[in-house]
Amino acid sequence: MTEQIPDTKMLVARDLKKIYPGSSQPAVKGFNISITEREIFGLLGPNGAGKTTAISMMSTLMKPTSGSVTIYGIDIVRYPQEVKKLIGYVPQEVALYPNLSARENLRFLGRVSGLRGKALEQRISECIDFVGLEEHADHYVYAYSGGMKRRANLAAGILNKPKVLFLDEPTVGIDPQSRNLILEKLSSIKESTTMVYTTHYIGEVEGLCSSVAIMDAGGIIAEGTPEELIKRIPGCANLEDVFIALTGKHLRD
Amino acid sequence: MGKLWPNIYKELLLLFRDYAGLLVIFLMPVVLVIVTTLVQQNILKSIGETKIKTLFLDRDGQMVGPKLEEVLKKVDALELVKELKGKTIDVETAKSAVAKGDYQLAIIVPEGTTKAFIYNAKQAARNSLSSGDTKKTSKKKKTVTVPDLTVYFDPTVTETVRTSVTGSLEKALIGIETDEKIKAFAALLPLEIEAAAKKSMGAMWSEEVKKSLPVLSVAWDKTPIMAVRESTAQLGKHAKTPNTVQQNIPAWTLFGMFFIVVPLGGSLIRERQSGMLVRLLTMPMSCLTILTGKIVAYVLICMAQFGLIIAVGKFLLPLLGTPVLETGPSPVTLMIIALSAAVAACGYGILLGTMARTYEQASTFGAVSVVIAAAIGGIMVPVYVMPAMMQKISLFSPLAWGLNAFLDVFVRGGSLWSVLPDVMLLVLFFLVTTLIAWFNLSRKGRIRIQ
Repeated sequence: MTEQIPDTKMLVARDLKKIYPGSSQPAVKGFNISITEREIFGLLGPNGAGKTTAISMMSTLMKPTSGSVTIYGIDIVRYPQEVKKLIGYVPQEVALYPNLSARENLRFLGRVSGLRGKALEQRISECIDFVGLEEHADHYVYAYSGGMKRRANLAAGILNKPKVLFLDEPTVGIDPQSRNLILEKLSSIKESTTMVYTTHYIGEVEGLCSSVAIMDAGGIIAEGTPEELIKRIPGCANLEDVFIALTGKHLRD
Repeated sequence: MGKLWPNIYKELLLLFRDYAGLLVIFLMPVVLVIVTTLVQQNILKSIGETKIKTLFLDRDGQMVGPKLEEVLKKVDALELVKELKGKTIDVETAKSAVAKGDYQLAIIVPEGTTKAFIYNAKQAARNSLSSGDTKKTSKKKKTVTVPDLTVYFDPTVTETVRTSVTGSLEKALIGIETDEKIKAFAALLPLEIEAAAKKSMGAMWSEEVKKSLPVLSVAWDKTPIMAVRESTAQLGKHAKTPNTVQQNIPAWTLFGMFFIVVPLGGSLIRERQSGMLVRLLTMPMSCLTILTGKIVAYVLICMAQFGLIIAVGKFLLPLLGTPVLETGPSPVTLMIIALSAAVAACGYGILLGTMARTYEQASTFGAVSVVIAAAIGGIMVPVYVMPAMMQKISLFSPLAWGLNAFLDVFVRGGSLWSVLPDVMLLVLFFLVTTLIAWFNLSRKGRIRIQ
């Protein structure tokens, strides 16, 4: 079951394809990535490119129509419960109970992750300190500002010390200070956590990610380090130029 | 259990902090029970459970009026009033008082009733004794018209009360009429026999013969020859007369239980919309654990609701003048019924939470569907008074199954065995709704179910 892959590949996706029931077109097709340990992998793409579908399949939320994903060498389709012990997920939305405090949210999530007693309380305190919410840990989440909510959302994602952390647009709609703090904190944990990061803020990816894949129409259209991608497309000064050059200027719904 | 308990605890914590939800869950059914029970108590006043204020106006002033009054005084449901503000009542005043709703009815005994009554009774006796004589038969005297006994009803008085009152009056009048006819007959018969004997015996007639003739006594024993015995059909030894408390407590308990579909469905929708469900499903915990956590928490809430409303029926409502709730001889059976109703409600709530797209959809559809199921299930009006078609439709309401089971125990003395079909239907409803909910989540492909 736990066939360890020798070359420190933390996440490998092979020929992933997803066709939603009732749809004839695949939302994701021919999706291949290989992410090594301590890597922060950026997944870029316009709206409807298939980023969230891909991340949902890789994080066990959705069964692929075909293809395979292994995390830490474990097949996510065959052994989802084993994989879930290794991953963390920070969704687009602030996925916390507003009528609970941050500490109560983390206590509940910690318990269902298998943490107990002093170890749980200690880990909750670490996560709260990590995102700078010490003074507000016992306030209800509904009373938080947008930035505080996003930071609490991140704390919930790293509570179980995941080997692989999926972040689906974790900095949407927050102030620059909170965004900087989140990006700094993510950088600080890359030694212990491999990350898959999706966002529309291309500057974030350029500063944070060690490798990037650009998706469009369900498939990956370019992949490499940010520097490689910038060099690859003539006339591009930064990753945003590359993104526009590859995906076009027309609006996406 | 390791991951189930945190889910249960979280649901309860969220519920206790949702004040609007708590009001819907606990306060609403309690208020409904109290209000409907008290309102129906008042309605029963007009349909005979408590005394009906009756004006009695005797314009005859002779034998029939007092006799009717005597009979009516023995009717527990009527409270006879003969004077208003110390003054005797006239017809117009009586009509006006009833029309205003101050009194439910007025009985007017018209002038000349006794005179006409006695005359007609004598005529009837005479006519019946002369039937063998063709000459006399041809000379039958006509009876006079007895004025009608008039009863004015308040328009709000139900047909049941009208029938009951007019029936009592007709029975009383027949009693008086029979008495008068017997009296007349008893007075006439010896004279007729004597006349016939004299005519037949001629010279042989003597006072000695007269003394030997039978004397007819009217002092008959008034004890009815045949009595009507009223008894309630029951399943067990324990049976109670159904009253508003026995009907309303189980009815509104079920209504309250099923109303938890709104907060339960809403909590699932909020988790879907907030991304919390997605987060939970990436954690080492199955969807079944998440759903079970919700179901157990809300079943506990339903059982607390049940306990609260039973306590209201036993302790609070009697303070407000209603009968004490009788829960029957088997608390275990009651708990089983409550539990099966609770899981059925939770199954429906979970189904709603997976099918509705928004909280508004869930709360509107959930509330309306529960009200409809309650209406056809006999919560508001007992099923047996519904039209035949509605009675057939009510067979499909889970609230009707629950109510029938509760009433089986409360008033029919039923046992676990007798309520088992209804309990099984409720459990089946839970299984079907939960399975559909599960299927619905899988079919949408939005999350994986393990």
